[in-house]
Amino acid sequence: MMGVIEGTIVWSNIIVLLALGLTMTYITTAVPNFAQASFAVVGSYIALTLLRFIGLDPYLSIPLTFIIGGLIGVSTYYIALKPLIKRKASIEMLMIATLAWDLILFGIIGAYSEILGSLTKRTETLFVFTNLDFEVYGLPGRLIVSTMLVLLTIIGLYLLLYKTKFGIALRASMENPSLAEAMGINVENTRLFSWFISGSLACMAGSILPYLQEIVPQTGYFLIVSIFAASIVGGLYHIAGALIGGYIIGVSESLFTYLLSMLFGPGVLVYGKVISLIIMIIAILIIPRGVTGTDLWRRLEKWLNL
Amino acid sequence: MIKVEKLNAGYGKLQILFDIDVEVSSGKITTIVGPNGSGKSTFLKSLFGLTDIYSGNIIYDNKDITYIPPHEKTKMGISYLPQTNNVFTNLSVIENLKIAGYVLKKNELEERMNFALKVFPELKDILNKKAGALSGGQRQMLAMATALVRKTKLLILDEPTAQLSPKLAEVIFDKIVELRDDYNITPLLVEQNAKRALEISDVGYMFVSGKVAYGGSAKSLLEHEKFQSYFLGIVDDEI
Repeated sequence: MMGVIEGTIVWSNIIVLLALGLTMTYITTAVPNFAQASFAVVGSYIALTLLRFIGLDPYLSIPLTFIIGGLIGVSTYYIALKPLIKRKASIEMLMIATLAWDLILFGIIGAYSEILGSLTKRTETLFVFTNLDFEVYGLPGRLIVSTMLVLLTIIGLYLLLYKTKFGIALRASMENPSLAEAMGINVENTRLFSWFISGSLACMAGSILPYLQEIVPQTGYFLIVSIFAASIVGGLYHIAGALIGGYIIGVSESLFTYLLSMLFGPGVLVYGKVISLIIMIIAILIIPRGVTGTDLWRRLEKWLNL
Repeated sequence: MIKVEKLNAGYGKLQILFDIDVEVSSGKITTIVGPNGSGKSTFLKSLFGLTDIYSGNIIYDNKDITYIPPHEKTKMGISYLPQTNNVFTNLSVIENLKIAGYVLKKNELEERMNFALKVFPELKDILNKKAGALSGGQRQMLAMATALVRKTKLLILDEPTAQLSPKLAEVIFDKIVELRDDYNITPLLVEQNAKRALEISDVGYMFVSGKVAYGGSAKSLLEHEKFQSYFLGIVDDEI
């Protein structure tokens, strides 16, 4: 049972990091980014590459994956989205553009895994880091590191958004881009920053993911369902929504799937994503703007003076 | 201060403004009135660069600013306050003031914020309140205060008294006069409360169907038959 709880927390932490990025880019650019999960798989492969070639522990590669991830996020915005936004493309077109970008990334990841395999003489189309993990007082490294990363991200985002001039500008741009522009804020820079952070968080999450599960080039296709469910359930219009939704989806997926597997056998494990989809559909029907769009949340926000 | 010549503008293929000629002089209140759909608000947006301009020129302090983006116009001393959504409701009053001076240095920002709070002392007690929780009058004052932080020379106001009680509307009109008289700011406004707005103004324009139907002193517009026909209900067959 301890293993299930530990796995649930790690999985939820990963979903939170990924959903935070998705929500940020949705708020600033109004684009639901279908390539978010592929960013994570890119992060996994960056960590693997650094491990194979320079023997760098995947945990220690996190700062580098953070930066490379940010650059991938920014290039996604520049190459796939900005030209379309300039031509006043609809949200559907932008969404399809991210789907196309996802397919391109999938192709690149697939090809890269084969090339990497030929260079290292190993099978790199499927890998895990579980055997590399450490323990502190019986607690696995993935639990400690992923929780620390979520805490650091939340504290960092809070300080940035509420205590810095750029952060206030970012919040202003999220709420009303045309008014922000009227104030002299370069809204384009705030969008770029969001895409940087989105890519960074995703790649960072991706470098932890192989400690929890096997990575294959197609991993993103399974992951994207949980990320979208988390952002939608928490509320796509509020950064805190990603945090709340991430834990709701992460915990529900892991625990419900575990309970169902106890009742009906391990065969149900492959249908774990159905849980996320059911919760997402219920949320859309009952609270279409997610948890952070409810009156209860607004009262809590007022009480916390956020 | 600002001179608009033969301006044709709109949204995409939908042209709203036709050959508009308007001149706003420094130190004078200029008000644009007109029936709904006459293009008043579109004109203000066009000045600030928020519409598609097909032809014509906007000259500000002898510089052609027709195609300059809004954030650059802000740096030149032009502020535009839309009718709604003119403050960030998720930010506190103090954050709204800080963000208004985004392009200023720290010392200068503090100086400008103190100045804005001197003009609008009503905001001092509610600095940490979220703008979304303010009353209509407080929100309008905050919007105008943000313009003061930005070192505004030309203040473009789109219906600043909309949805306010007559008493609060009067407070806003008094503030507009104060900005002109005491702080050397040139207000340009569009108002539904046309009669009262023209009473405090120096210059008045009347727009009808995207064209300038009349332009002259505010007093002469108030007395003009077209104005009386549209706003005071005196019907004239020739119009």
